[in-house]
Amino acid sequence: MTQVFGLLSIGAGALMSQQRAISVTGNNIANVNTPGYSRQRLNMQTNLPMDTPEGLVGMGVQTTTVERVYDRFLGVQINNESANLGRWEAQKGSLDRVEVVFDESGGYGLNQALSNFWNSWQDLSMNPSGTIERSVVAAKSQALADAIRQKYADLEQAQADIDAAVRSGVEDINRLTAGIADLNQKIASMESGGTVTANDYRDSRDLALKQLSEIIGINSFEDSGGQVVVSVGSGRTLVESGNNYALTTTDPPGHAGIEWPGTPLPISSEITSGKMAGWLQTRDTKIAGYMSNLDDLAVNLATEVNALHVNGFDRNGVAGIDFFKPSGAADMAVNPLILADPNLIAAASVAGTVPGDASNAAAIADLRTALTMGGDPDTNPITLPTSTFDDAANALVSQVGHDVQEATSYQSHQADMLAYLDNFRESVSGVNLDEEMVNLVKYQAAYNAAAKMISMGDEMLNSLMNMVR
Amino acid sequence: MRITQNMTSNIFVRNLQKQAEAMLQRQEQLASQKRINRPSDDPGGMARVLDGRSTVAAIDQYVENIKQGKTRLEITEATLKQVDDLVQQAGELAEANSGAEITASQRQLAAENIKDIYDQVMQLANSRFGGRYMFAGYQTDTAPFTREAVDPDDYTATYNGDTGSFQIPIADNVKVSVDANGENYFQDAAAGGVDIFKQLGDLINGLEDGDTAAIRATVDPLEAAHVQIMNKRSEGSPKLYRLEASEQYWNNFKPKIQEAMGRDEDADITRVAVELNNLKTAYETSMAAAAKIIQRGLVDFLG
Repeated sequence: MTQVFGLLSIGAGALMSQQRAISVTGNNIANVNTPGYSRQRLNMQTNLPMDTPEGLVGMGVQTTTVERVYDRFLGVQINNESANLGRWEAQKGSLDRVEVVFDESGGYGLNQALSNFWNSWQDLSMNPSGTIERSVVAAKSQALADAIRQKYADLEQAQADIDAAVRSGVEDINRLTAGIADLNQKIASMESGGTVTANDYRDSRDLALKQLSEIIGINSFEDSGGQVVVSVGSGRTLVESGNNYALTTTDPPGHAGIEWPGTPLPISSEITSGKMAGWLQTRDTKIAGYMSNLDDLAVNLATEVNALHVNGFDRNGVAGIDFFKPSGAADMAVNPLILADPNLIAAASVAGTVPGDASNAAAIADLRTALTMGGDPDTNPITLPTSTFDDAANALVSQVGHDVQEATSYQSHQADMLAYLDNFRESVSGVNLDEEMVNLVKYQAAYNAAAKMISMGDEMLNSLMNMVR
Repeated sequence: MRITQNMTSNIFVRNLQKQAEAMLQRQEQLASQKRINRPSDDPGGMARVLDGRSTVAAIDQYVENIKQGKTRLEITEATLKQVDDLVQQAGELAEANSGAEITASQRQLAAENIKDIYDQVMQLANSRFGGRYMFAGYQTDTAPFTREAVDPDDYTATYNGDTGSFQIPIADNVKVSVDANGENYFQDAAAGGVDIFKQLGDLINGLEDGDTAAIRATVDPLEAAHVQIMNKRSEGSPKLYRLEASEQYWNNFKPKIQEAMGRDEDADITRVAVELNNLKTAYETSMAAAAKIIQRGLVDFLG
């Protein structure tokens, strides 16, 4: 008797288990393209066997847990590499736009402007009383000043763009950390019984951690309650159980810096990976460096030209005035008095009206080959200048190209590495449709067989009842 | 390794993207004919190209300077040759009219002739090049020689210029200097040379006064004036030669710089075209393979 009813109960358990397995498989198939999804597996085990005189007899199947297949350490590695990729991606993105400012491949730019500037002085030295030559010197000098000023302004704009990116990046960070804190709570409450694993919430949280890593390099670990603790920089906590600490940015004027809540505490310098690090480094080191190079160029050019110019004498025999003013890349300009009256250009080096004296113009033209850049009078011993103005301008363009090339190659390398790790994760956690199809067929066959078993049990019971009647 | 459909498609997408990027780069090189289209394509090459461009711009300017300098020297030479002819002519007239047998009317005729010569030399000494006086030193907008005396018999010419010279930049920090001090050409008083205007004036007065001694006294100085002009003329030819040598040097040097720039900057069209073709084949093969693999799965074979 017990045996026949036992058969029915085994069949019922089997039906239920296979059905559940089919729905887990179906869920896997449905989520094959869901970002961050880890395939799930239904764990089955045998029921407690029945003790009979013949020995232990199996009592069918039962399901235990739905498990998600993943590699915990891979997740951390992926987060770290995402942070590195984010850094180089941000740097490349920002520098690509800076490179446009220094695009001299077409033949227009600082190089051309400088050449035109020197050549106009030589032309003037050949014909110092020429009205046209004087106007050309004024025009080419203005073009050079414009080029320097424009490039400086473009770089300032690039820095402002990065400020905007930093501000919106911080908003993204706060949104993601709030989401992670929320998921922490959900996972904790769901898993508090100790039997259930919050698979889907964990997938979502892993994905959020990866997205957060792209923006800012993080340290994270899971505490005993299954909640992750996230920190940045030198141990600044962003998420702890259900709480997140919202970062803030410093207000203008000045570039956007990142602050940790509380005092508030500036932490920009502690961030070494993620897009944030790429942006900050590009803005504060790379672009700031180009700007200081441009500034050096402008200041030295103005100083050297002015020094010669004030020692010369203009078309009317009057001592020369400052040629460039004021001296800085941000507001580089030719003295407006000279623009208004090119006769004020001091081509002569002899006092009085000497229209044919071009010595001073020639001396200014000769600055082209003079070593004027790269020196530093503040060091001891004094660092002597090592390069010409042209060298310095060309080196700046080359430096920008080099930085872009470096960022591009790191970015590409990092993208390859992350793709490899993503594939590895996909290999462990990804859904393989063929595999799921096989499982589907497998569970379906088991389901069908279990159903057959029940109908057979039913027939057996019928036969038994008929026998009695 | 366990393989999933997403892995397959991710790898395809990534590689197709990479190939498309590589093809775009080749296309850009073909379209612009340049290997370096932005500084990051080859920062070192870009630096050399920019250096080359600065050099070429400087060379173009030097060649332009040299051309202008040559014209100036040639005009100076032509002017001096004419002055020389006139001075010699005056010398011959002085010689011919220094004898006692020459009649007063003949001398008067010669005097008129010399007056013309005086005016012509004055005009030549006040020659301009590009609107600027050539023999005035730095005082290029002042006529260097003027006859200011009120007395019609006073032919003294005043020099209004200074000792400035004309500089032609022909290379980095190298200049060819052309003497523009008119005194050195026509008066040379400081160096004990001949004041051509004074000698011509003396000759005119001598002829008009019938003073054979005075006439004869101008013969030697006029010969010396000829030598003085000849000396200045011969100063010009080595300078002209130097300018021409420099021009030739630059004209040889510039193509070499450009060739070096081309090696850095220009795309090797044949190679790029072949590369593009190879990339295209790889791209198409990848797509064909993707089309075959991605669409097939167990689900296609289950009844």
